[in-house]
This record gives sequence, structure tokens and C-alpha cells, in this order.
Amino acid sequence: MSVTMVNRLGIARAIATLAPLQTRNYATHATGHGRQRRLNTPPDFSKSSLLHQTPQTFSNTPGLPRGGASSRLNLCQAINSALRTALSESNEVLCFGEDVAFGGVFRCTLDLQSQFGDARVFNTPITEQGIVGAAIGMAAEGAKPVVEIQFADYVFPAFDQIVNEACKFRYREGHTGANLGGMVIRMPSGGVGHGALYHTQSPESLFSHIPGVKVVIPRSPSQAKGLLLASILKAKDPVIFMEPKILYRAAVEEVPDELYTLPLDKAEIVKQGADLTIVSYGRPLYTCMQAIAAAEKELGGRTIELIDLRTIYPWDRETVLESVSRTGRAMVVHESMVNYGVGSEVAATIQEQAFLILKAPIKRLGGWTTHTGLAWEKFIFPDVARIYDGIKELMAF
Amino acid sequence: MTRPPLHHHLVVNTGKCLYNSALYRAYSSHPPSARLNVPIDYATTPILHHTSKSALSNPELSTEARNGTASRQNLFQAVNSALSHALSSDPSVLLFGEDVAFGGVFRCSMNLASEFGSDRVFNTPLSEQGIVGFAIGAAMEGAKAIAEVQFADYVYPAFDQLVNEAAKVRFRAGTNEGQTCGGLVVRMPTGGVGHGALTHTLSEDADTAVDYYASYHSQSPESLFTHIPGLRVILPRSPAQAKGLLLAAIACPDPCIFLEPKILYRAAVEQVPTEPYTLPISTAEVLKQGTDVTIVSYGAPLYTCSAAIEKAEKDFGCSVELIDLRTIYPWDRQAVMGSVNKTGRAIVVHESMVNAGVGAEVAATIQEGCFLKLEAPVQRVAGWTTHMGLIYERFNIPDVARVYDAIRVALNY
Repeated sequence: MSVTMVNRLGIARAIATLAPLQTRNYATHATGHGRQRRLNTPPDFSKSSLLHQTPQTFSNTPGLPRGGASSRLNLCQAINSALRTALSESNEVLCFGEDVAFGGVFRCTLDLQSQFGDARVFNTPITEQGIVGAAIGMAAEGAKPVVEIQFADYVFPAFDQIVNEACKFRYREGHTGANLGGMVIRMPSGGVGHGALYHTQSPESLFSHIPGVKVVIPRSPSQAKGLLLASILKAKDPVIFMEPKILYRAAVEEVPDELYTLPLDKAEIVKQGADLTIVSYGRPLYTCMQAIAAAEKELGGRTIELIDLRTIYPWDRETVLESVSRTGRAMVVHESMVNYGVGSEVAATIQEQAFLILKAPIKRLGGWTTHTGLAWEKFIFPDVARIYDGIKELMAF
Repeated sequence: MTRPPLHHHLVVNTGKCLYNSALYRAYSSHPPSARLNVPIDYATTPILHHTSKSALSNPELSTEARNGTASRQNLFQAVNSALSHALSSDPSVLLFGEDVAFGGVFRCSMNLASEFGSDRVFNTPLSEQGIVGFAIGAAMEGAKAIAEVQFADYVYPAFDQLVNEAAKVRFRAGTNEGQTCGGLVVRMPTGGVGHGALTHTLSEDADTAVDYYASYHSQSPESLFTHIPGLRVILPRSPAQAKGLLLAAIACPDPCIFLEPKILYRAAVEQVPTEPYTLPISTAEVLKQGTDVTIVSYGAPLYTCSAAIEKAEKDFGCSVELIDLRTIYPWDRQAVMGSVNKTGRAIVVHESMVNAGVGAEVAATIQEGCFLKLEAPVQRVAGWTTHMGLIYERFNIPDVARVYDAIRVALNY
């Protein structure tokens, strides 16, 4: 036998001696020594109350149409549904980006080119600056380009286009009234477990400083569809639409089939409470729910209110301040670094406006001030235990 | 040359600029009976060293510098002096950027190319991404690469290079100790200047008194480099500070972003120690002690704060502490919190937009660390959440009246 064949046999034998596919040889959470993780267990999306497991719960979420047909979709399917709906609804809608034509690396644009043609759904070269620049030009001419940046980490080459051009377009136009409404820059963002430095970033706070774009982060498929359709069809300003990539497949729920939009200027109280307000958005909301469930068992009847910002900028100050005026305690939770993050702006505003009501300082739980190394993601992002500890600390202040 | 009548105040196309003539200023710089919003008098502001004795008595100076002499320099001259020191003392120092060789659009690199040669001081193409990318590479190979971005508004094409590359080089290198781009310094003029505005409408005649800059010459992007860690962001308030902080930034083993308030290039003139010296990075400085309110600021707004404090202390009988952050990130939390724990009231003042700016981080940290000592909410007096329109600069950037009002609100809360 040739050397290659011997090597191949050797490798095949080696593979065969590994445990068969059914056995997972690594742990997703600590199980050794008979100790069970109490807090940091993986979230069970199939039971999460943040997701509509049946259409009957649509009435709990303001803005969702009730009574019509719905389908069980995950996040990428919901985005796909929204894009399809938008492309059908208006001929001005275009959809382009890297690898968009075959369906996209996350399947969000599956079958769109075959249905709507390559004049409207097409690939671009690898140039984020060019993608966004072209979108700005098209939007200035009246189109509604929905462009995709393949990962939020790659948006920085387009930063000048976004911040110096898109943000300032309407201001520059003065009285002409021209604007870039309908331009949406979609991007998968956030940690996914194995993204490391360049597939994990959440740059939403960087787009909150220079005004002119809306920054929207949906928490679930039904939210994503409504917010994306609002961004494309209703918004008068360009929208940066950041999709938590870990939820693309993990979050599955009932989503109404029809065209519907959700407001781009309102936060949503996803859980009522009386003693502490937690403000968050995107994937950390699920972590917060787990922490809240664990903490409420031990708080002697006190309850925690959870708010989903949805639109990070301009953010719904009224809803948050109204909530804090009732509870007197606040915490902000997000994945991206705590320094100069969304938490800073929210905390600074709450303490300005609700100073005399606060019973405790506003806590900011964000990623630690470091880059997300491959092996360190679960230590960097706020986990259930950190949020739980934060809750206990604030309640005891 | 004919003198235009007084009411033709703007376009003076005679080849001689009457713009600055004191006799001839036919536009107003402030309302006639303004009490607070009068132009800053840089010749008497307590923030600058008006005598060499005062300049040389700074305790942060090295002994050599303190025992040396001082000379009167403005900000660009001080920067030039620092760059010259760096180039002459360390052969690995390089200085480059758009128009750097002839002296720079703000004169910061005057005579450096002729003195140190075009191998070390040279022009680059019009490509910020390229300038910074090249600088990162040079720094990784051991150079002390000082890259100039012509206006802070133009740094955004280089954002990916700064935030995804420069900020992450050392982290990525893991245990490879030598692998950093610590020699990187990116310098840029920043901030409002009175005529920066939004859209560039070029005029052929450079002496035309019509303002032709744009909102692409007034931005202050410091807070954008503070979220993704890995860069030090430094903003000096004066010529003497700039010289020391720039030399410290060049020597610093981390990549630094050095923002120079462009309005101070000519306006701020003071005695600057002649010897080279460094000032500590990531250390704030208390410019004025006080007991009732702490004002935290940096760069050009410090002069506004100083003027407001002077009036407020007279009118309200209070005592205000003024802190210059100097390094925006990583910033000196201890100094600020120590001060607020003493005074119980805090105001953060900066030029850039208030939303998600430096004020947000400082306020959020203060309320975390000084919660029980606070007598009033931390106020943020900053640029409004809008772009810098040409004629609206003075309404957008915090002026003396706004800071004065904030002091009053803090005292009366």
C-alpha cells in the first residue's frame, strides 16, 4: 500500500476510536463532581417567555397583529420574510452585500435573487466602504437599499460613509427635505460562542454619538420582522439594523405572516416589576430573564422590571425614566464593553432626570474592557451569575 | 486698495485680509452688553503660564526642564518643538501625513523635513486608511511612527485600522511580547474653530473673509476611540501641556491618539519650558482647587469653564474645582471621584455631542462611585445632539453662560 493510503487508514482508525457523534466530549456547563450549575445554565429558548411559543401570546406584545396566520420561524427566517415582504411591497427596495445572492452566510437572503431578480438583489465586491457608499448614493436618488455588512466587526471601513455622509445628509440638505430614509444597513452582531476578535463585536454605541442614524437591535424573530419592515418602509432616516447572530437559529417562535411594522422610537417593557428596572437589548435579555427568575425566588416578593430598548439610538427615555420613577433602582446590561457603552449614556441620563428617586446607584453590566478572545467569551459577556449578583447588590444597597 | 464701507463686512477681495483688523471688524463677536459670553482673553486666562517662573514651577516637570529656560510659544510651536526633540533624540521616530513636509496646514511640522530629511519626515497620499495602516505596520516593526491626520473629521476612513488593528495588536500577539504597535501616535487637529461647519465650499481666494470651512473641520471624535479598548486618547489644553504629553505619547508603549484643539494653535500662547520633558499620561490634573462643585473637562472648553467659574464664584460666593482630564481614555477615575466625594457636585463639559460622549462615561462612573456623596445629579454640558452647522457653532459648543448656569443649578439643587 502507498504511504498515503497507510496514512488515510491510520487517520480513519483514529477517528473511529473517537467517541461516536452522539457523545459530546466537552461540557457546555459544569457537571463534574456531582455539582450542578445553578445559574449559568444554557438558556432554554423553547421555554423562554421572550419568545411567542404560540400565537396566543401575540396579544402580550404591543404592535403585533393578532388573529392572522403565523409561522414558526427562527431569526434568519424572519429576516428573510421581512426582506421578501419589503421587496414585494415596493419596487424601490434593493438588497445587496457580500454573498447576498446565494442566500447569505446566515441564510437571511435565501431565494430573494431568484424571486426578485439580480437587478434588485445582488452581490457586491468585498468593500464595506463601497457597499455603504453606493447605498447612500442610491438612497439619495430615492431607492430603499437594504445592504448587508457580513459581520458588524467589518463595518468600520464604512464608518466614514456612515458617520460623515449618511448621518449628515439630511442636515446638509437643509430646506430641500431630501433624506436617506429607507436605507438600512443590516449586520449580524454580538457573541456567538466562537467568534473571537472579529466576529463578535457589538459596535452599537459607536453609532450613538454622532446623530443621524437610528440604531435598532431586535431581540426575537417577530420583533426583527416588524422593526426591519419599519426601518425599510417607514423610517425617514437611515437605520443600522444589528441582528444578534447567536439568535439566528437559536430563537424560534411564532411570527405573523402578514406585513406589520413596529415603532422605531419605543422601548418595550417585556416584564413588569416594581422594585428594580433592568434595561437591556438583544441577546442579553435572555440572560437577564434567567437571572431575574433565579433572583425573584429569593427576594421575598419583590419584582424586577425588564425593558428592551429595541432602538438604541435615539432611545426611548420616557419609558425608561417612567419605569425608574416607579422602581427607584436601575441596571443596564449589554454585551459590548462597559466603558463608554450604551450603559453610560443610559445611566448618565437616568441619574440626571431621576436623581432624587434613586435608591441605589445605577449599575452597568457590560462586557469587560477587553477584546473578546476566542476562549474567553463566556467570561467577558455578562452571564446569569453576574446579573444575579448585580440584582442582589442593588436590592441590598 | 480701497476700504469697503462698514456694512460690506464679509467679502474683502483685495488681496489683503482685513479680517483680523481690530479697527475693521464689522461683525460682532458677542452681543453688545454681554456679561458672560465675551471672547476668552487668552492673554490673561489663569490656565496658561504667562511668566517663565510659573511655567518652570510645574511640579510634574523633570529637574532638567525645571532648571532650564522657557520661551513664549503657541500650540503649534510647542507641538513643533516636541516633534523636533523626538526626531533628534531617537532615530526610529518618523513623522508623516498629508502636507506634512512643507510644514503642515497648521505649521506643526515646520522645518522638520529640511532638518531631519525626507526619509523621516514626508508626505503621504490622500488616504487616511493608508496613512494609519502604514503607521501601524511601521510601529510593529519598531518605528515610532507619528502619523498626522489633517483634521479629526477625516480620521473615520482610518477607523477600522485604529479600532480593529491598532487597538488589538497587543492582545492578538498573546505571549509574543515583542509584538505591539506601541510606537504609534496618531495626531490630529480637533474641535470647533469658529468657522468649521458642515460642507466644504472652496474659495479660490484664500484671503476671502467668507468662512468656507465646513462641519468637516469641527468634529471632536475622542469618545469614539474610548469604547474599544487598546488606544490611549490624549487631549492637551495648552502649549506646555501639549509638548509634554506628546513626548510622553511618543514614548508610551501603547498606541496613542493625540488630539490637538485647533482653535488653540494660535490663540493659546504661553511660556513653554525649552528642555524636553514628559507629562504623565492617564493622570488628570486639578487646575483649580475648590470645595463646592467639581467641573471635569478637557481641551478648549477648559478656558470657557475658567471664565464661567470666575464669574460664578463672584456671583454666588462658591468655590469651584476644575479638573483637566488630559487623557480621555484610560481616564483618571480616582482623581475625579476623589474630587466629587469632596464637593458632592459635578459637571462635565465637552464640545462633542452630549449623547454617548465622554460626559456619559464620566457621569455614569461618578454616580456609581460617589452615589451617597452626591448632592445633585452630575450635569453634562456639551454640544447639542446635532451636527455643527457653520453659523451655529457658538450655539452648539458650550459657552460661558451654559457652564455658569450649570454651576448655579448644581449649587441650588
